[in-house]
Amino acid sequence: MKRNIRFYFAFYLAKLSIVALKTIRRDASQFPGKMAITLCPNFLDQIGKPEKIIAVTGTNGKTTCCNMIEDCLRANGYDFMDNQLGSNTNSGIASTFIKGAKLSGNSKKNLAVFEIDERSSIRIFPYVKPTYLVCTNLFRDSLMRNAHTEFISNMLTNNIPKETKLILNGDDLIVSNLAPSNDRVYFGIDRLPTDTDTCENIARDIIVCPKCDSKLVYDFVRYNHIGRAHCSKCDFKSPEIDYELTKLDLDNKVMIIKHNGEEEQYDLINNNIINVYNMLATITVLKEFGLSKEQINPILKKQKIVDTRYSKETVNGIEVVTQLSKGMNPIACSRAFDYLRKESGNKAAFILLDDLHDAANGSENIAWHYDTDYEFLRDESIKQILIAGARYLDTKIRLEMADIPMEKVVSQRDELSLIDSLKLDGIDKVFILHDLYAMDLKNKLKEKVIEKIEEEGRNK
Amino acid sequence: MEENLKIEILFPEFCNLYGDISNMKYLKKCLPKANYIETAFDEEPTFVKEKVNFIYLGPMTENMQEKVIKKLMPYKERIEELINDNVIFLITGNAIEIFGKYIENEDGSKIDALGIFDIYAKRDMLHRDNSMFIGTWEGVEVVGFKSLFTFAYGNNDENYFAKVEKGFGLNKESKLEGICKNNFIATYLIGPILILNPDLTKKLIEKMGINDPKIAFEQDLINAYNQRIKEFRSL
Repeated sequence: MKRNIRFYFAFYLAKLSIVALKTIRRDASQFPGKMAITLCPNFLDQIGKPEKIIAVTGTNGKTTCCNMIEDCLRANGYDFMDNQLGSNTNSGIASTFIKGAKLSGNSKKNLAVFEIDERSSIRIFPYVKPTYLVCTNLFRDSLMRNAHTEFISNMLTNNIPKETKLILNGDDLIVSNLAPSNDRVYFGIDRLPTDTDTCENIARDIIVCPKCDSKLVYDFVRYNHIGRAHCSKCDFKSPEIDYELTKLDLDNKVMIIKHNGEEEQYDLINNNIINVYNMLATITVLKEFGLSKEQINPILKKQKIVDTRYSKETVNGIEVVTQLSKGMNPIACSRAFDYLRKESGNKAAFILLDDLHDAANGSENIAWHYDTDYEFLRDESIKQILIAGARYLDTKIRLEMADIPMEKVVSQRDELSLIDSLKLDGIDKVFILHDLYAMDLKNKLKEKVIEKIEEEGRNK
Repeated sequence: MEENLKIEILFPEFCNLYGDISNMKYLKKCLPKANYIETAFDEEPTFVKEKVNFIYLGPMTENMQEKVIKKLMPYKERIEELINDNVIFLITGNAIEIFGKYIENEDGSKIDALGIFDIYAKRDMLHRDNSMFIGTWEGVEVVGFKSLFTFAYGNNDENYFAKVEKGFGLNKESKLEGICKNNFIATYLIGPILILNPDLTKKLIEKMGINDPKIAFEQDLINAYNQRIKEFRSL
């Protein structure tokens, strides 16, 4: 691509803005790219790019996968650029390229790792052509932005570059049918003892064959549309898995992955199935990139899920668990509810899923609550449910709709004073499920929970 | 009598986006003894051969819209007969477009719809419009949300669902939302609109012949409804 004057004008101005923003200690992860694209609409086409790009997209798990990929590459001596601290939209990608470019406009690095917002792919993929693109899963997400999975999967299929090798979740029939003419490998998890024959989730976005519209027969269901299926009439079926998790040993925190007939054992960092998928996706792309198990596992086994997503500590014998549950994302919240109900012991749960921006400036569309499996909270091991926030009246009704006994529910507007209603008698674990933008609130509430346990809690 | 009511939910396996199917779950809480018929896409709708009291169709993907139009086209006259017969229809989200004249794609191509009402829709898949809504239907203040890739055009002066107080109607310039003819109600509003609107729900149940109905979790619904109306008006 020949660069024009407009590009250089946008590029140098954006470079200068990075210096200026850093000087005044402001975030430079979005603005420079946004400005460059405004000044030069095909800026992403003209800016120099690394020879190899590993990209990760999908509804859930993008950030976790990118973090793991980057840590493994870094530990193995690779030098790369990434958008870990910035935006995953076209502006964020442009900002990363600008930061990583020489004054000539060419890239300083030969490798990049990018998290890519699936909704932004239409503005990224015409110009940025990943060598490998991981797609973790495609679920219902913010209905206001992403509408539905068919909209997002069509957008990806229509925009993924032909030369990109896809690393796809073969247990997700929406993902596994993306960009059918592209080269690809599939990762997946063989049937687990916890899998079922029927789906107990509200949202299930692929139930008929994409080839002939006949009903799909699920060989097993893991959650929502995750599982393996075949068409009742034609030859359509879940793909053959190239990197298959064949044994999951949660007690010993290990998994066996089979590829080309050979089995390798990897250490698990977490017992949540979502993170098992994230690890599997990470291992698959790194193996395709050329790393060996010996280069991957020692790094992955030392990984911890970042505190902003999951944390656990024990105080006087009671576990305090914080778990990110992205608001407006029905499947992320349903997975968190499922994890909560399946954890051992008696539990109390704070549920703080309101969008704080909408709470301050608008009125949140609560439709997503009705695609979310609040019914999981009926589990008898959940002894108390504490809800608060701007939408507490709506959330209370959602709990009533889920037939949750109201005697175990506390609902009120103020979040922090919920602590006064927490009953610790007989409780083994206190969960705080929180939205992505409620970190400060989560931290304050967690402190209060710990204080309360220290004052009242028992030692086991 | 509640036991004699037949409520048909059309194609719930597909037409279930945005939590809208909760409207029927809520109706089941309010009218637990009524008969609920969930008609799958590969089945003939019950309304074709039997009289039902209430028909529900929720929002769906754009691809599914075309399939639903084809599926319902042979029953167009029967649907018109039921509308004239005062059967209650609740049609939410983009399902309203099934009953209009056509849906126009960005490239100008058109998908013929049932043509029962004098409206048509234009898609713009790159722009999603989100808005809040307050309007009035038969003296009831209706509150809700829209989230759209399409706007509708045409004349609904004589058969609109709600007069708009906040937000917009069929399109940004319109102050008349949706379609209402006899007991046929079609609206672009999405989500659990029966849960958001206790008075609307009561009125629909009354139209099914239940006098002074008691709705589920009534006081909690009223509290949430009052809070939402107040918030929307303050924005």
